[in-house]
Amino acid sequence: MTAPGTIRVRSLVVDFATQSGPLRALDCADLTIRAGTNLAIVGPSGCGKSTLLCMLAGLAQPSSGSVEIGGASLADLSEAARIALRKDSIGVVYQADNLLPFLTVTENIRLQLALCGAPADAAARTADLLRRLGIGDLGDRLPDQLSGGQRQRAAIVRAIIHRPAVILADEPTGALDTKNAAGVIDLLLEVQRLLGATLVIVTHDPALASRMQRRLTLRAGVVVQDSERADVH
Amino acid sequence: MFIRFVTADLIRNPRRTLSTAIGVLLGTGLFCAVLFFVDGLSASMTQRAVAPLPIDMQRILTEPVAGDLRLDLAVDPVGAVQAGAVVTVRMQLLNRGDVPANEVTLRSAPPQGFRFVAGSAMIDGRSLADKGNPFSKGQTQAGMNLGVLAAGQSVRLSYQMVADQAGDISPDRVAATFSTRESLFPVAANADERTDLSALAAQVMAVDNVAFASALMFADLAPEALGAGHPAAGPLRVFGFDADYTAQDATIRIVAGAQRPGAAMISAEAATALAVTIGDQVTVALPDGSIMVLPVSAILDLTAARSLFISRRGADFESFLYVPNAIVIDTARFSATILPAYARAATQRGERVKSPPVREIDIGIARDLLNAEPAVALIQTQAIAAEIAAIAGGQDFLIDNISNTLAVAREDANVAKRMFAALGLPGAMLAAMLSAYAGMVLGAAQRRERATLRIRGASRGNLLVMLALRVSAITAAGAVIGVGLGYLSASTVLGHETLARVTPGRLLLSGLLGAVVGLMATGSALYLTGRRSIDAEINQDRARLWGAAPVWRRYGLDVAALIGVGAVTLIVLARSGFEGTPGSVYVGQAVQLPLWLLVLPIGIWVAGCLFGGRLFAKVLERLPSGPMTLLDRPFALLFWRSIQRRSWALADVATLLGLIVALGTSLAVFTASYDAAKSADALYTLGSDIKITASPTHATDLGAFDLAAVSGSDGARTIPVIYGVQNIVLRSDRTTEVANLAAIDPVQFAAVAPLSDADFSTGSARLALGLLQDRPDTVLLSTDIAGFIKVTVGDTIHVLLGRNTAGQVEVPAEVVGLFERLPGFPEGADALMNLRHHAAMVPATTPAFVLMSLADRTPLALQQTVSRLQNDPSTAGMLQVQSRLTTLAKDQSSLAALNIGGLLTLDSGYVLAMGTVTMAIFVFGLLLQRRREYVTLKALGMASGTIRTFIAAEAGSAVVAGCLIGLPVGLGMAWYFINVLRPLFVLDPPFQIPLASLGAIILSVIAAAAIASYAASALVDRLRATELLRDD
Repeated sequence: MTAPGTIRVRSLVVDFATQSGPLRALDCADLTIRAGTNLAIVGPSGCGKSTLLCMLAGLAQPSSGSVEIGGASLADLSEAARIALRKDSIGVVYQADNLLPFLTVTENIRLQLALCGAPADAAARTADLLRRLGIGDLGDRLPDQLSGGQRQRAAIVRAIIHRPAVILADEPTGALDTKNAAGVIDLLLEVQRLLGATLVIVTHDPALASRMQRRLTLRAGVVVQDSERADVH
Repeated sequence: MFIRFVTADLIRNPRRTLSTAIGVLLGTGLFCAVLFFVDGLSASMTQRAVAPLPIDMQRILTEPVAGDLRLDLAVDPVGAVQAGAVVTVRMQLLNRGDVPANEVTLRSAPPQGFRFVAGSAMIDGRSLADKGNPFSKGQTQAGMNLGVLAAGQSVRLSYQMVADQAGDISPDRVAATFSTRESLFPVAANADERTDLSALAAQVMAVDNVAFASALMFADLAPEALGAGHPAAGPLRVFGFDADYTAQDATIRIVAGAQRPGAAMISAEAATALAVTIGDQVTVALPDGSIMVLPVSAILDLTAARSLFISRRGADFESFLYVPNAIVIDTARFSATILPAYARAATQRGERVKSPPVREIDIGIARDLLNAEPAVALIQTQAIAAEIAAIAGGQDFLIDNISNTLAVAREDANVAKRMFAALGLPGAMLAAMLSAYAGMVLGAAQRRERATLRIRGASRGNLLVMLALRVSAITAAGAVIGVGLGYLSASTVLGHETLARVTPGRLLLSGLLGAVVGLMATGSALYLTGRRSIDAEINQDRARLWGAAPVWRRYGLDVAALIGVGAVTLIVLARSGFEGTPGSVYVGQAVQLPLWLLVLPIGIWVAGCLFGGRLFAKVLERLPSGPMTLLDRPFALLFWRSIQRRSWALADVATLLGLIVALGTSLAVFTASYDAAKSADALYTLGSDIKITASPTHATDLGAFDLAAVSGSDGARTIPVIYGVQNIVLRSDRTTEVANLAAIDPVQFAAVAPLSDADFSTGSARLALGLLQDRPDTVLLSTDIAGFIKVTVGDTIHVLLGRNTAGQVEVPAEVVGLFERLPGFPEGADALMNLRHHAAMVPATTPAFVLMSLADRTPLALQQTVSRLQNDPSTAGMLQVQSRLTTLAKDQSSLAALNIGGLLTLDSGYVLAMGTVTMAIFVFGLLLQRRREYVTLKALGMASGTIRTFIAAEAGSAVVAGCLIGLPVGLGMAWYFINVLRPLFVLDPPFQIPLASLGAIILSVIAAAAIASYAASALVDRLRATELLRDD
C-alpha cells in the first residue's frame, strides 16, 4: 500500500498554447518523492518549477503523463474527487499570502477547516497552531493589520491546519526579508517533521535548497539534476 | 507614443473598452433620444394645435345693416405750413342708402402739432357756439350727435386749426370717424368704397397659402319663426352660404337631397318638428314682419358643425351654442331677403335689432404648407393675416384664430421642450453615475498595468495624459454611437414618419447638443474617477485611498440635500407654488409650469438614494457577528463577513441600482397618474362612461328605449338627462337671466357621474343631491349664476321652464345648494333640478341625452358596449354614442395630450439597459477586483458552484437593497413630478401606483442580476488556481 504522502510522477508533459504554436513548459521523466521527505525544486526563471508544483497540487491537468498522490492518479479522478483530495491531503503555501482580506486570521484558517468538514477540535487546533507559529494573539486581526511575515505565517497555518500529507510551497519566502524568510523555512520544516508530511518547495534560493533532503534542478522544463543530500542516507 | 499605447490598450482589451463606453453610449443615447423625441413632438405640434380649429380666420364685416353712410374729409391748405398758419378742415357726411341712419355721431380732432381754433366749428354753414372742439369733447373725446340722417341727406361740417410749428398737413393726418345706432363700430373718413362680400372673398382667395375663403351669413330669428302650416318651437337660425362652403366643411352633413340655389336646406330637428321633407315648403317670419317661403331641397345634420355654431360673442367666444332649428339658403337670397328685412326693422323709430345678422368671410389656410414648428408656422400665418387685412382695409376686422392658437402652441412647445428635457435629465445623470462606477471598477483593474508603467518611468503627468486620451477616445466613440442609438430609439417610439418631419438642421442641433451633454457628463465622470485612482496609487496609500469616503459621504451632503428639499417643499406648499396656470388653445392661454421646481424631484432622487445607500451600509456594518457555528459553514462565513466588512462596496452598487429603480418607479407612477388624470378628465367631460344622444335624423325619444338592456352589459346603469343651452330663465328679486338647466334623477346621477365634493360649495355632493331628492321642487345653482342674480342658499327664485316652447311655465324654487361645476356638461350647467319635478311641470320635454355607467370599465368592455348600442337592430342608426375613450382621443390640442407614454417607453428602455449594465459591471467587476479571492477559494477546495452562489448572493443583496431604496425614493420623486406638472391637468391628478409596472421594473432588475450572475458563473469556471503561483 502506498503511503499517503508519496508522490509519483510519470512521463509528465505540459504544453502551453501560444500564438506561435504549442510551447513545451515541462517534460518530466518518472519521479518518485517518498512520503515524509522534503525536496527543493530549483532552476532559473521560466524553467517550469511552478508548473511542476501546480501539477503536483492538482491545480491543473497535464498534456500527458500523470501525477499520483498516495497512489491516486489525479488524472483518473473526477473534478470533485480531485478537489476532495486537494482539500484533505494537500496544503499549498504561495509566495503571496492570499489570505481573504475580509476575514480575520482565525476565520481564514477556520474556512479551510470548514471546507474539510469542520472537525470538532477546529477551534483548539487553530489556536494551538497560531500560538505555535508565534501569532497566537493576532487571530482576530484582518490581514491588512498584519506585517508581511505575520501574514505568511498565517498562510502557513491555513495550509497545514487540516494536517495534509503533502505540503507544497511556491517561493514561500520570496516576499520576505532574510530574517523572516529563515523563520518561515524553519517553521515549514518543523511542521513537516511534526506531521510526517511530504514537503516540496520551489525556490531560487540555493541556501534554502541546501537545507532540503533532495534537490531537483530543472532547465527548460526538463529535470537535469536529481540529487539527495549525503546525510539523508 | 501615448496615442499608440492608448490605441493598443483599447483594441487589445475590447471587453474593458466596451464596458467603459457603454455608460457613455447609453447616456448620450438617452439624452439624444429625448431631444429627438421633443423634436418629433414639436414637429406634430402645429397640426395638433390647429386640428380642433373650425375656422382659421374670420373676416367680420362691420357694415351696418341699415344705412350706407360715407364721410369725406378735406383740408385747406394741403402740404407745408408755417407756424401760426390756419388750416380749415371740411367734412361731408352723406347717407347714400334708402333707409335713415339713427343717432349718427361724428368725431374729429386736430393732429399733433395743431390746435383747434375756438369758435371755428360750423355745421351746414351755421356757426356752433362751442369754445372747445364740439367734435371731440372732454377726456373721453366724445363726438357730436347729429341725430337722424335721412336717406339721401347729407351734412357739411368744418372747423379750423392752427399750426403750433412748421410742418406738413394732409387729410389723412386728421382723425375723423362716424358711427350710428345701427353700427357702433366707428368708420373712418375717406374710407375705401365697401367691397362686396363675394368680391372680398375672391380677393382673399388670391392671397398665397389661402386654401379657402367663402362668405358665411347668419341671423337668429325669433321663436316660432320657422313654420310649415304650424310653427316649430324654439328660435331659428338662418344661414346663408353657398355650395363651396358646404364642400369644404365635412361637419355640414347633407343627410338627404342636395344644396340648390333658391331653395333651403333644413336641419333634421326642424324637419322632424315640422314633419316636412324634400320638396315641401317652409315659411320664415322675418324681423320686419314679412314672410319668406322656401322649398326644401335637403335635410342636414348640423350637430357637429362647429364653424356654424361656435359663438362669435366675446363673452362666450368659441362656445358651441347649438340651435336645433336651422335652415340654410344661398348668399344671394340671404342678401336679397334677410338683410333688407333687418334694415327695415332696425330703422323703425324706437326699434333696435339686438342681434344683427353676422356677415363674414371664413378663411382656411393651406395647413399642409405650415411649418411643423408652431413658432415658424405662427410667423407664416401672421404674414398671411397681414396680407388679408390689407385688402380693403378699414371696413371690417379680422379674427386670426389660427395665429392665436399657434401663439399658444408655440408657448406650449417651449414648455414641452423644457419639461421633457428636465424629465430626460435624470437619465443623463444616471449615465454619468454609471460611467463613474464603471470607471471606479475598471480603474482598480488597471492598477497592475499602471504600476508597470510607473516602474518603467511613467510620471503622474504621463498617466493623466494617457487617461485623458483614453477617456476622450471612449467618450467620443460612445457619443457618436449614442447619437445614432438615440435617433433609432426615438424613431422606434415615435415612428419614422414623425421624425422625418423634423428639419435636418434641427436634428443636427439636437444630436450635437445630446452628444456634448452626454460626452461632458460621462467623460468628466470617467476622467475624475480615473485621476483619483492614479493619484491614490502614486501616494502609495492604498488603505487611505480606497477606504477614504467620497466628499458627499464625509460631509453628509446627502442629508443636507434631503433637509434642503424638505424645507423648499414646505415653503412651496405654503405659498401654493405648485399651482401653475392651466392652459388651453381654446382660451388662448399657454400652460405656465414652474419648471424650476423640477429640481426638487431630481434632488430627492439623488439625495434620497445616496442616503438610502448610506443607511444600507450602516445597517450592514452593524450586523451581529453571528454565532460561533458560522465559522463551520464556509458559504455563510464568506457571505456574512463580506457584506458586513465590505458594506460600502455593496452600498455603492445598491445606491446605483436604487437610482435606476427610483427613476423607473417615478416615471411609471407619473405616467399612470397622468393617464388616470386624462381618463378622469375625459370621464368628467362626458359625465360617465358613455353618453348617448338621439341622432338628429331620427325623431328618437331616448326615454323610449331600455338602453341598459340594449347595451348587453351586466350592471350597466343609465340616467336620462334633460338639458339645454339657455333653456330656462331665472328670475330673482333683483334681476332676470337666461340660463342652462339640467334635470336629473339625483340618486342615479350620483351613481353614474364622477361627482366630487369639491364641486359643491355648500356641503358634500351626497348632501346636495340628497336635498334635491327629498325636496324635488328645489334647485341647485352654480355659484356663478347665483352671484349674477344675487341669490344664495335659502332664497326662493322663479324658474321659467320649457323656455320658448308651447309648454313653458314659471315655477318657484328654493335654492338649496350651490355648485362650482358639474360633470357631463361641457357647455356648462347653471341650474340643477330633480327630473321628476321637471317632468311634472313640463311633461313634453324629452331627455337631451342618456348617461350610462358600466360595471366592467375596461376599454374592451366599453368598446363592446358602444358597438352593441350602435349596431343593435332596435337602435341601429338612431343613436349617437360617445365613450370616454373617444373623448380622450379627441383632445389633441393641449399640452396634456403630449406623448408622455412615449417618453416613459424611451426612458424605461434605457433605464432597463442601464440596470442590466450596472449589474453586469458589478458582477464582472467583482470578478476583476476579487479574482484572486475566488481563485484562492478554488485552491482551498471550494466548489465553483459555491463561489457562483456567493457572487449571486452578493448581487442579490444589492438588488434587494436597490429596490428597497429605489421604490420609496421613486414614489417621492413621482409625487414631486405630479405636483410640479399639475397645471397640465384639468382635474387634480390622482396618485396612481401601477403595481404591474413596478413589478416589471423590479423583475427586470432581478432578471438582469440573474443573467449577469449566470454569465459570470461561466467565468468562475474558467478561473485557474495556477494564477496564484504567479508573482503579484
